[in-house]
Amino acid sequence: MEKTTIVIGVIGADVHAVGNRIIEYAMNQAGFNVVNLGVMVSQKEFVDAAIETNAKAIIVSSLYGHGELDCRGLGDACKEAGLDVLLYVGGNLVVGKSDFEVVEEKFKKMGFDRVYPPGSDIEQGIRDLMADLKNKA
Amino acid sequence: MPTYLLFDVGSTYTKGCIVDIDQERILAQASALTTATTDISIGIQAVKDRMMDVLSKVTIDQTLACSSAKGGLKMVAVGLVPDLTLKAATLACYSAGAKVIQAYSFMLNDHEIKQIEDSGCDLLLLTGGTDGGNRDVVLHNASKLSKLNRKFPILYAGNKSCQDDIRAILSAGGFDITICPNVMPVYGVLEVEECRDKIRDLFLSTIVKAKGLSELNSLIKEIVLPTPYSVMEALKLLSSGTKSESGIGDLMAVDIGGATTDVYSMNKQFVVKDNVGYKGLKEPLQKRSVEGDLGVRFNAHSVYELKADEVDDEGMKDYVQEIEEGKIDSFDTQKDSRLAAWCCEIACQRHAGRMETSYTPMGVGYYQSGKDLRDVRVMIGIGGPILHSKNPVEILKKALTQKAHPEILLPLEIEAYLDRNYVVSCLGLLAHRHPDEVLRLLKRNVEKLNDE
Repeated sequence: MEKTTIVIGVIGADVHAVGNRIIEYAMNQAGFNVVNLGVMVSQKEFVDAAIETNAKAIIVSSLYGHGELDCRGLGDACKEAGLDVLLYVGGNLVVGKSDFEVVEEKFKKMGFDRVYPPGSDIEQGIRDLMADLKNKA
Repeated sequence: MPTYLLFDVGSTYTKGCIVDIDQERILAQASALTTATTDISIGIQAVKDRMMDVLSKVTIDQTLACSSAKGGLKMVAVGLVPDLTLKAATLACYSAGAKVIQAYSFMLNDHEIKQIEDSGCDLLLLTGGTDGGNRDVVLHNASKLSKLNRKFPILYAGNKSCQDDIRAILSAGGFDITICPNVMPVYGVLEVEECRDKIRDLFLSTIVKAKGLSELNSLIKEIVLPTPYSVMEALKLLSSGTKSESGIGDLMAVDIGGATTDVYSMNKQFVVKDNVGYKGLKEPLQKRSVEGDLGVRFNAHSVYELKADEVDDEGMKDYVQEIEEGKIDSFDTQKDSRLAAWCCEIACQRHAGRMETSYTPMGVGYYQSGKDLRDVRVMIGIGGPILHSKNPVEILKKALTQKAHPEILLPLEIEAYLDRNYVVSCLGLLAHRHPDEVLRLLKRNVEKLNDE
């Protein structure tokens, strides 16, 4: 059976590369075909890559606090492109100390299926992804 | 070793030369003005007549030609995402010496299918999806194409998982379908070599005949390559060298013609400087781009339109008008040089990569897309307008980075060279048979120009 393809990357002008590598490694280990767009990824690049590779999920990281601005419209862009993908986001999504539940709700409204706070366990993310993919199938 | 008679047919000038491989010498060289409408054989005969002195004394072992006759190799490129597989497909066509007359992305609709039907293309390159990636779009496009009335060869270089289905769909539609490996097998990785070879093979096996170029066969015994393919082979050899002899390294070349301007860049490595990120598809180390709207005759007007707002007119408007209306008896070399300089400038700017500056919370960030040609020094001029200009260096210098556009990654300095004897396109025909000899011939015939 062909591996499930997922697209990962760090959105906006963010250059935090370490977490991105860890996600790539862990997702590869978990059996996914990982298309890693690296850092400073635009919304268009996420969408284009997901179309060409027939990805089942887009996993967005943002560590520098501007995640809300960068991610706004990504959910719509996916819908507009006819993509039927799971949309995950995680990291330091907003500046300052906001209540995570508020942040989560905000991002879910923007079309994200799952939202992860700083310091989340990647293994949990993988379990969620596998479950969500199974539910969708 | 043999003596060859070589021709480059189909452009404004028909070029020919006689090459003695043993002596590593070009025994004779000639060119003759040919109009697009005249029979190819007339141009060939005119060139032969001019070389008759030599021709009557030597025995020609083989006659070969490259051709851009009847519009050259006209292709339609079909991809999925414009910046990904469509771009990959277009680059593959260019590197095979083709002209992309139409390009389509995503699912083809009836209107586009009609346009393809009417395009008069020689060959269509169908791509879409990485290997294991999107299937739906390319399958949809294949089944749309299969219903076309006009049949032409189709080359499939998309998602490998669909190869069998694509073959079945298009064969059932009566198309001659050729399969080759994906031009973008994984995200962001371009693989054009095999596709390029397949395009050349199709050109030789079917397209030459279909285009009515077989009249060449009575005059020329073997291989007819698309002219830009042959130029590319020559430039590759000149740049990379052979096992026993080194080439001249990274180079750029600009070939300005009556209807189009081609730009070539040959690099050993893909340059991305320190602290610079890269975005999008990595373009080929040996890249060709074609500008179908830039030329000094058939496209003089469109070149002028592009520059009219920036420059002093000095009679250029009337000149291009006269060219357009075909009223000109004698062409003005100086004005032609100006047109050529504009072609060179615009075509090189379109060919080169870009550097974007991004102001981030962590400081200034740079990312590059396309090729960084800032360190390339050798700039070769090819084609009539440069050759006949009084100051070819000035034309070639238009390929330099401009102060107003530091984001366009063109050379910071150049050494200008000229294909003085019109031999690059012809010598490319022998690049594979006699690489060492041809390399030395190229080195001797591509002349370095002094800055005036």
